[in-house]
Formats: sequence, C-alpha cells, structure tokens
Amino acid sequence: MLVLISREAASSARARATSEVERTAPSQGLQHRWLPLRMRKGRERGGDQNFDYMFKLLIIGNSSVGKTSFLFRYADDAFTSAFVSTVGIDFKVKTVYKNDKRIKLQIWDTAGQERYRTITTAYYRGAMGFILMYDITNEESFGAVQDWSTQIKTYSWDNAQVVLAGNKCDMEEERVVSVDNGRLLAEQLGFEFFETSAKDNVNVKQTFERLVDLICDKMSDSLDTDPAVTTGAPTAKLTDSAPPLQQSGCNC
Amino acid sequence: MGQTISKPTNPFQNSNFSLKHSSPSRPFNEQNMAPRPSIFSTLRRPLITKTNDFIPLFNDCISAAASRTQEYLLFKDPEDKLHASPEVLTQVFLMTYISQSVSLNMTDRFNCTAMTPEQRILLGADWVWAMLEKPTKNPRIQIAVQVLHLPDREDAEENSIPQEACSESIQIAKNESSNKTTYERMVDFCTSIGKDCYALFLFLGKKNDKGNIYGVLSNNFEAAIGKCNKIDRPFIENFFRGSRYLHTPPGMMQAIVTKKEGDSLTLMVKFS
Repeated sequence: MLVLISREAASSARARATSEVERTAPSQGLQHRWLPLRMRKGRERGGDQNFDYMFKLLIIGNSSVGKTSFLFRYADDAFTSAFVSTVGIDFKVKTVYKNDKRIKLQIWDTAGQERYRTITTAYYRGAMGFILMYDITNEESFGAVQDWSTQIKTYSWDNAQVVLAGNKCDMEEERVVSVDNGRLLAEQLGFEFFETSAKDNVNVKQTFERLVDLICDKMSDSLDTDPAVTTGAPTAKLTDSAPPLQQSGCNC
Repeated sequence: MGQTISKPTNPFQNSNFSLKHSSPSRPFNEQNMAPRPSIFSTLRRPLITKTNDFIPLFNDCISAAASRTQEYLLFKDPEDKLHASPEVLTQVFLMTYISQSVSLNMTDRFNCTAMTPEQRILLGADWVWAMLEKPTKNPRIQIAVQVLHLPDREDAEENSIPQEACSESIQIAKNESSNKTTYERMVDFCTSIGKDCYALFLFLGKKNDKGNIYGVLSNNFEAAIGKCNKIDRPFIENFFRGSRYLHTPPGMMQAIVTKKEGDSLTLMVKFS
C-alpha cells in the first residue's frame, strides 16, 4: 500500500494523514516530501490487501451535477436517471493496473449540499486527487468551481492533483457553459479538463486515468527530488517485507 | 399526542447534564405564580400548515412498519430454531416503511434514504429521513436513525458473521471510523449538520418490553460529549428511566416542525 505524506501540507493534513501513517510508521511519517510506503502483499483479514499502491480520490462539486452517477459509471458501469441526493459521504473501491502495478483507488463521493460541508471537508485530508465537477447545463454549478477550488486549497494538501469535469455533455441542447469556457477556467486554475457524460459513458474512464497519471507524475517528481527515498535510508525502515524502491518514480 | 407512563423521577434533573426535554417540569412556585394559560388555549394553537400535511401519512407508514416488525419481534419458534436477525428486523421495518411511503406518494415532501453498508459504518445511521423544501427539494429537517436491537439478538448475530464476509470496502470504512462508536459517529454526523438534524436511536424491543418499539430523539446529544459523558447504549437507555411521557410518531414530528430554529429538543417516542 502507498501512503503519501506532504511535509508542506502537514499542518492541514496532520490529523488524518498521521492516523494513516501511524498504522505503519508511527514516528517517521512526516519526514519526507512524498513518501511511498509499500505494505506486504498477500491477503489480510477483512479485505484484499494485494496491491502496490493506494490512492485516495474525491469527487466534489455542487449538488446534482452527477458526482454519484459518475462514480457508479466508473466503478460499476451502471447508470440510473433517478436522482438520489447523497447523504454526507460514501465511497467505492476500484483497482486499476498501470505498468504491471496494482493501484487501488479509494474513491470518495461527497454530498454537494452546503449542509454537509463540515463532514465532507473532513475527508479532503489525505486525498491525492480530486475530480471537481460541474454541470454544463447549470451555470451556477460552473460559477461555484472557483469556490470548490478554494476548498481544496484550504482543506487538502498542496500536492493534490485536480481534474475539472464538465458533466452531462450528452445534454447538448440544454448546454449553458461552453467547452471553451470550461477549458479556460481549468487553465486559469491549473487543472486538467474533460467534458464528460456519466449517462453516455463519455470520458469517465479517461478522467480517472488522467488523474491517476497526474498523481503518479507528481510522485515521480517528488521522489526525484528527495534523495532519502532513492538512497533508501530512512524509507527502508518504513517498508514492510517488500524491498525499498531503488528507482526514482513510482513505476506506475 | 402521547402516552403517559408511571416513572415519576428524572435522573437528569439533579445532574449537570442539561438536555432540553420537550415537556420540562417547572419549579412549584413558578408554576403557581406564572399566569396560567386558559384550558382553551390549545384550541388556538397554530394550525398545521399545508407543508406539514405529511405527518398523518408518516404516521401511517410508521404504523405499518412497526406492526410488521412486531410480528417478527414477537415470533417464537416452538422448536427454537428460527430467530429473525437484527439485520432482517431492520430491513423489515425499513422496507415496509418505504413501500408504504411510496404508495402514499409522500416521498416528494418527506423522503427516506437508506444508507449503503459503508455509510452505515461511516455515519452511524441506518437510514435518514428528510423533510424537503418545496422548490429545491433540499432537506430542511433531517432525522438520522440508528436501530438498536436487544443485546442477546446482537450478540447472536456477531457470532454468526464469518470474518470473510467482511468486504474490503467495509474494512476500509471501519478503519476510517475506528476511534469512535456507532453512537458517537451518528451524533457527530448530526452535530456537523446542525440543530435541524436529529439523531434517533430506535430500539426494536427493550429489555423490559421486548415486543415494542421505542426511540430517543435529540438534536442535542453532543451536549453529553461536552459534559464528558460517554455516548453509549446505557447512556441512551437512561433517557427512558427519567421520562414521564412518550410521544407518538406524529407527536414527535409535530414537535420537530413547530420547534423554534436553533432550539434543542429531546424526546422519547413509542413507535408501536
């Protein structure tokens, strides 16, 4: 399993991040910029622990933009047009493969309504990637993107990667947000951009795959700049039975 | 509106713990000195507005769900082989409630969202009732419900679940929530939303009354945390010891919708 720790974001992410780290490395968790931990492979009680890395991802955005549908399409390849507002928070787990590595994605689906903001932002901590979603048929949801971006900066850590997704692109006749405006905003915020449709299964898988790529790239950059990881000195103590990473980059 | 029971003392009266009950008893002197309302004053109560017209329907749904659940609560197998599990009892109650609410066409005003297995662990709730605002359909008032079963029934279920049945996502949810009990998680969840979110602990059978369904509802359980009281089963059960009055389900709902915004409300309810 991989746990990433950002020294810069330690202040905001400490509570949750340390709880994750302390299970494997009680005292050394905040010593490195991006710190990959590998847990032993094999089945452990209560779940499949047989993976190389675990990424925690969040889907955020205004209510009814299609976050839950997007997740259902990706995780279960299912879609229903019935709208059920998410209560608080929920998640699904999906394993993907990249360069022969098993990456387990813990994908958290957040409620968009303001009344749940306290509970949802608590889950931002420790997230490595965000899908920030708006609805191309809803101007208000697009206008709120800037606020959601601020929420990420406030409650997450600096290295978290973000993809902006303009959902419901199957509803062209009701479109009020142009592709260009979406792309422009993404550029201004420094995010990647996709227009998507959970209903027609457009760019759903691609959005997740791009987010995983971005996280892997970020990890590689951090490992390149952190000699401690490549020399294996303190990191070696944090690995379990698997050998420390000898190469730079996460290989994913 | 409710049913009176003969338990004259309130264990919270002499403690520092101050959950506001729906029918607080005032000191004797104050009761005598204050101008007494006319006995006809109740006739001038504000009429139930149209937005609250779901309350009789809610009562119908609860009656159906409680009656059906009671059949299984009270079931005794002559050979002592069949026992309804806690999970089954919860599902019987919830499925009956949902069927009834759909057939009465009330879900656009008052809906019920069953939690996923992961949410049940993360948020501590089995389902959430929500009174919806008309145009937006956003929740105006919510009641998060956690079902509690008779201890012997819960013990039997725990022993019968093989570890392998515990899925990966369930294990992750448990790890996320490992430092808190289910009671605390639900109180935390409601507190994070605000005073318009109530926690309802629904007892499918009590120790001294195994065939009936009771509940403790409050939007102020977090006060116990402030007073360093632990929120656990004995703490919740303790409310019944001090209560003189049990609300009916429509009485509970009426108390909720007529409460002033931001006020605390705690009450005990008999659902069957």
